Amino acid sequence: MKKLALPFLVILFFVSESIVVDLWPKNEFYEKYIFVPRFLLITIVFVTVYVTRFYGIVYGFIFGLLYDVFYTEILGVYMFIFALIAYLTSKAMRVFYNNVLVTSFLSIVAVSMVEFYVYGIYLLIGKTNMPFETFLYNRLLPTIFLNTIFVILVSYPLQQQLMKVPIREREDEDYLL
Amino acid sequence: MPQFFLNKRLIVLLVSIIFLVALIGFSLKDRQNLTWPEQFIKDTTGFVQFIFHKPAQFVAGFFENVNDIKHTYKENKILKARLEEYAVLEAQVQELEKENERLREFLDKKESLRDFDPIQATVVGRNPDRWQELIIVNKGERHGVTKGMAVITPSKALVGKVQHVSPFTATIQLLSASDQKNRISAFVQGEENAFGLIEGYDEKRKALILKRIPFDAKIKKKQKVLTSGLGGVFPKGLVIGEVLEVKPDEYGLTRMAYVKPYANFYDIDDVIIAKRKIDYPVEKGEGEE
Repeated sequence: MKKLALPFLVILFFVSESIVVDLWPKNEFYEKYIFVPRFLLITIVFVTVYVTRFYGIVYGFIFGLLYDVFYTEILGVYMFIFALIAYLTSKAMRVFYNNVLVTSFLSIVAVSMVEFYVYGIYLLIGKTNMPFETFLYNRLLPTIFLNTIFVILVSYPLQQQLMKVPIREREDEDYLL
Repeated sequence: MPQFFLNKRLIVLLVSIIFLVALIGFSLKDRQNLTWPEQFIKDTTGFVQFIFHKPAQFVAGFFENVNDIKHTYKENKILKARLEEYAVLEAQVQELEKENERLREFLDKKESLRDFDPIQATVVGRNPDRWQELIIVNKGERHGVTKGMAVITPSKALVGKVQHVSPFTATIQLLSASDQKNRISAFVQGEENAFGLIEGYDEKRKALILKRIPFDAKIKKKQKVLTSGLGGVFPKGLVIGEVLEVKPDEYGLTRMAYVKPYANFYDIDDVIIAKRKIDYPVEKGEGEE
């Protein structure tokens, strides 16, 4: 049962993103400001830090693929960045002191990195023609705001849950990448 | 140089970037169908989404109802005032429908572009990164949905069209998507119907763009825009919206109109997929306009 806890947790956050967007009150505010829930990404950052890097990259890869196939129908975009974010997080954690606050901060940085990256790619392939200023004020800032609130609410319980995840060894797996 | 090749991380990164570019290129191709792994993932994920989504929608629906009750009195007053109007209109419609049927029989013309089989579907997912407005519903190929079909709200206003199908789910592209390929043959209802094509969406005005209207067509504000059913799989006579503004085209040869859509693209829980009865399916894949 305990082995299934981690996949279940990640699936929950994966589904919750769509539910949040669906149930968000649909008024003019919704049309003007784009709040993008990035709960899955935040969870992947936490998994990388509190479980292992290997788990982080694998979960990032698998759920990024699901995200691509199910939601956006442009393959590869999220699959690549989620795995890369997991890798970069583990690199960053060697420099920083391991602490919930630091991890939370890193996850917010990751959220903005992903936003910039996806904006860049969509601009490149012509899926959007949003001006940079609109992106910054109507999309990036609200998104960071929403995800910061989420991180504040969830970081501590999430950390506690992830520390309980049973894995065979928690040592460094440098032989993989 | 050998040192360069020994750097495993760099190689992995380069290979994955190449892989990424290839995958994006593959998915941007104008695909008729999804590949089977994609269809499988869609169906499985769709099922999981459905399990979580239903209770969430139910709870949200309850709070919405409570909120609605607060406004009931005011709304009731307004609606009562309009009730009489409605009764007269309904009587007229019934009479006209009967007459239409009789005339059709007289002409021995049974089929019409207007008839369609409604396929009820529930929204199970919505694209959380709102770059493209896509929603996923729980009806797919097995229920008779095919690519390109019209999607309407329960109140019969057009919201979008089916982009891709898998056996048990379908992805719907909303009309508000800024996709040039998303063309719909439509007409402006008037004394003389003016035909045109809906091409794209104006984000600033929150309006659809109806292009290629003949220059001499007389169009006024507030006239209704409906689907013409001439393009392929769309039935005739689905309401799209009303004309906001008319102006000459970029080249001045035809005119274009901004059309305010009736459907609220954001607040969608249940949809109906319209499967046209006439001549369907003649040839698969011909449905695109």
